[in-house]
Amino acid sequence: MVIRREKEIKIIYVVTIALFLAFLAVPILRLFGESFLAEEGIGLENYISVLAGKGFGNAFGNSIVISLSSALISTILAFFLAYSIQYTNLASGYKKWIRLLAVLPMLLPTITYGFAIIYSFGKQGLLTKLLGVQLFDIYGFGGLLFGYVIYTLPISFLLILNTMGYIDKKFMIVSRVMGDNGIKTFFQTVFRPLLGTLAASMVQCFFLCFTDYGIPASVGGRYEVIATVLYNEMLGSIPDFQQGAVVAMLMLVPSIVSIALLRYLERYNIRYNKISTVELRKNAARDWFCGIGSAVILIALLSVFLVIFIVPFVQEWPYQTQFTLEHLQAVLQDNSLTMVYRNSIFVAVATAVLGLLITYGAALATARSSIKQKYKAAINSIALITNTIPGMVIGIAYMLIFSGTPLQNTFWLMILCNVVHFFSTPYLMMKNSLEKLNSSWETTASLMGDTWVKTIVRIVTPNMKSTILEVFSYYFVNAMVTVSAVIFIAGARTMVLTTKIKELQYYTKFNEVFVLSLFILGTNLIIKGVLSYMIQRENKKKEKEQ
Amino acid sequence: MKRKQGLALLLTGLMTVSAFAMTGCSGGSTESADGGASTAAEGEQVIIYSNADDEAIEAMKATLDANGYADQYMFQTFGTSELGGKVLAEGTNIEADLITLSTFYIDSAQEQQNMFQDLNFTYQLLDGSEKTYCAPITSQEGAIIVNTEMLAENNLPMPTCLKDLTDPVYKDMISVTDIQSSSTAWLLIQALVSEYGEDGAKEVLSAIYENAGPHIESSGSAPLKKVRAGEVAVGFGLRQQAVADKAEGLPIDYVDPTEGNFSLTESIAVVDKGNATNPLAQEMAQCIIENGRATLQEYYPNALYEGEVTDSVNASAYPKTFAEPLTVELLEAHQALSESCK
Amino acid sequence: MLELKNIKKSYDGVPVLKNIDLSIADGEIVSILGPSGCGKTTLLNIILGLTDTDSGKILFNGEDITNVPMEKRGFNIVFQDYALFPNLNVYQNITYGLKNKPDLSTKEEVNDLIALLGLQPHLDKKIDQLSGGQKQRVALAKTMVMKPKILLLDEPLSALDGVIKESIKEKIKQIARDYHLTTIIVTHDPEEALTLSDKVLIVNEGCISQYGAPEEIITMPQNAFIKEFILNQLEIKRNNIFALFQQKTTVQAV
Repeated sequence: MVIRREKEIKIIYVVTIALFLAFLAVPILRLFGESFLAEEGIGLENYISVLAGKGFGNAFGNSIVISLSSALISTILAFFLAYSIQYTNLASGYKKWIRLLAVLPMLLPTITYGFAIIYSFGKQGLLTKLLGVQLFDIYGFGGLLFGYVIYTLPISFLLILNTMGYIDKKFMIVSRVMGDNGIKTFFQTVFRPLLGTLAASMVQCFFLCFTDYGIPASVGGRYEVIATVLYNEMLGSIPDFQQGAVVAMLMLVPSIVSIALLRYLERYNIRYNKISTVELRKNAARDWFCGIGSAVILIALLSVFLVIFIVPFVQEWPYQTQFTLEHLQAVLQDNSLTMVYRNSIFVAVATAVLGLLITYGAALATARSSIKQKYKAAINSIALITNTIPGMVIGIAYMLIFSGTPLQNTFWLMILCNVVHFFSTPYLMMKNSLEKLNSSWETTASLMGDTWVKTIVRIVTPNMKSTILEVFSYYFVNAMVTVSAVIFIAGARTMVLTTKIKELQYYTKFNEVFVLSLFILGTNLIIKGVLSYMIQRENKKKEKEQ
Repeated sequence: MKRKQGLALLLTGLMTVSAFAMTGCSGGSTESADGGASTAAEGEQVIIYSNADDEAIEAMKATLDANGYADQYMFQTFGTSELGGKVLAEGTNIEADLITLSTFYIDSAQEQQNMFQDLNFTYQLLDGSEKTYCAPITSQEGAIIVNTEMLAENNLPMPTCLKDLTDPVYKDMISVTDIQSSSTAWLLIQALVSEYGEDGAKEVLSAIYENAGPHIESSGSAPLKKVRAGEVAVGFGLRQQAVADKAEGLPIDYVDPTEGNFSLTESIAVVDKGNATNPLAQEMAQCIIENGRATLQEYYPNALYEGEVTDSVNASAYPKTFAEPLTVELLEAHQALSESCK
Repeated sequence: MLELKNIKKSYDGVPVLKNIDLSIADGEIVSILGPSGCGKTTLLNIILGLTDTDSGKILFNGEDITNVPMEKRGFNIVFQDYALFPNLNVYQNITYGLKNKPDLSTKEEVNDLIALLGLQPHLDKKIDQLSGGQKQRVALAKTMVMKPKILLLDEPLSALDGVIKESIKEKIKQIARDYHLTTIIVTHDPEEALTLSDKVLIVNEGCISQYGAPEEIITMPQNAFIKEFILNQLEIKRNNIFALFQQKTTVQAV
């Protein structure tokens, strides 16, 4: 005798669960099973042969060392940038630029970073030429490290900046009146409250570096990491799916550990009841130091991308350096490349729309329905699981399971792959926003004669506008830049920009690589720009009303 | 109220865009809708998977276009081992209708998966190695490539054989390819093994790898590009590409190593998808072989078919053939040899 | 006439309502009073139809409505936090239900309500621009437009301060009287309950502690709980206020 049936939400719930069963659970379990399939039946044979190989242990160790180093550097630099914004009296316009530039690399695929590094710091690189010396060996630890730092700094920065915003600055005054010196105040009121976040940033960056394929694919050299081992097992000269499955499973281990750590660290975040804004102490030395320091970090970071704007516009880098639009025109006239661009836009838009619907539906089920808690927990665990599974692992699992089915090499498979792979963050964004909305709206509206769908359309959705736009933008940008999963499932008709870049890289066609990268950057800038303008207008409107 | 419509409008707009993009660019997704990816719909494009270099692709495209097949095909390129691996792994599930790939991979795939159709036409080769399921499109030779400016700038001697590259003066100044991913490297290793035997080859290769350091590349054309870009002074790559660069006036020269110029052929084959096989695939294969060889020979000058000749500039000094037949198993053995040298 | 017979409800095996028997006459204002966690909100939700009962029956005018879904019962509620829709303005909020059932209230009736609740000057405002009292009045108007057979109010005064509290109290009484509307109010404040309603239902630990007119509760408390928690509280308040006024008078007298 259920009185409120909530039929619609139950349908949404079932659809969501079915989707993740088919496109997450089954493929991953299949991969898991594959890793135990050996010539002599089922067993640990593959694991033994992978672990005994000297290449794997070496690559695994390398991956850990370089991921840890990148994570540490990124976190330190990100902390510095965030501190410059939150704790100095730098001009607000300057701070705005720091905030903007620090996240710019997110709009480019990681596979581009590597090429940009080669053309910047290589023997004939732009920066090497400008500076007259080659700064470091790019084809190995140095190049990878640089790429990973560029990749993870924006994420670390956003994380730290956000938590810093929630630190009550009044405690700085308290600490000072209690007689603490500057350093003690800093440790007591800035560093200590941030400890959990700093650790979380380390873990997050570690995870990203460990599972990224784009940077090692482009910089590579002789420093083998686990992502390249995995790629070669699956798509190398003599593919071995069983061994590849083993590598994929072993890649999962640090991922799971890091996410578990993240969950654990969440408890160490200090929560302040109230955030008071206080005037910061005047300190010109501090401001100059932070201002210049930030500028140096950002210039070093972004100078790498300078080549993307230069190389495609000169005749033949580095020998014939007169300006030309030839390469750009060549790309625009090449039907196969413009098709790839259209494909990318389609995949990104479709991912964003489908992702929006699925995260919205899933979040409605967990945040605004009376579905039993244990059923809601299923969706929350899906969010957690998608967060732990590297894109490469999903891609490989899809390759194994959908080969020979009508879904093989289709856009739908890539779109679903993106939706599943990036589910976690937008789902949590949706859920948090929905939970903040008044819990009685649906009841009230239903007493006013609304159906559930009507209430969602007329009341809930209009109040979710800024979150909806944010989720759209998140899915769109990520679908544009991702390479690690789609590299395994894109077909000839379904090439996207990033997989095309990988292909062009094989032929070392850097002009095209950079032109396509510019397309990605430009598109993302436009979409992000328009959407953030709309989000800001939305938020401002809300503030004004209150 | 206005705001809400704005958002609705935006979402509808995006939906329309995506729907447009769908119909605009994807023959591929419509086939999934009716449930049969392998059903060859009338007028469906032939998908050609290829590991060939740019020049070969361009030549094949030009041939197909000139013979009335424009817009009826689509090329998708891969690294040699990437495509070789994909073919071995996917068999007839592969997306492609037509494949051009190193001949030894095609042979092995046919043996393991029996995945190619017999060709609808016959042909005669100079060496008499005709097969029913594939026909060669190119033959490629290896050679040492140098950047003359870089050699002079760094006071390096001009090498004459592969063994010269073991000299420590070339430290970080040479680039070679990795046999794990590129068949071009096999040309180098075949030369070393036949000249010095397996153990001798190991010795030489280890020293070359030591000198190449970070410049062990995955793509066959990468060493040439690095030589061109001045990243290194010496590389091992495809002979005809260096010939072309030199002719264009770039500071590039080539050296035929005294150990021999070994060669590999790439062939074309039609994937057997039963009733779903695109009938155009056979036609295109025939067209490329019968009408495309002249254009292909401009870039890959080595004669293959009866009636063809290699012109003098492109005739290498020391052409040789490996004693054993080239198979994936032999490649594996040589890969293992190469790995032990790293 | 609303009758509850033998209503029982537990969550995860913990009984929240043990055995509720109750009848409310038409046009009465009844307050459900009790400490937090006593089950009063659950009781309200059961009447509304938001929560199912484990056993027992609900009769309205003799008809069994136990299994009638919330939307079909024809009751309506004003939530403690009003649950107004921030994307709509005041007028759109008030007339929200008429979009679904246009014949429910005439234009005049809506205008009468707006006038009665003094909302005329605020009609074009956004919800976020209103004060607490104004929001409460909008929520009342919005609910009354639906012509509910029973009006349920969940802690209608708890978020309001002093003077506004008294004026909203008056409006609630006036509505109940003018529309002869059965009104059920949930509150934790004895003063509110006893001054606002015709009858007070005191709930403690899932059982009815006492159900009667305010005078009865004051003069004939039936058990120790009512004496200690309800009356005692009121007496402390009364003494404080008396003390305050006496002091003031003394001060003034000096």
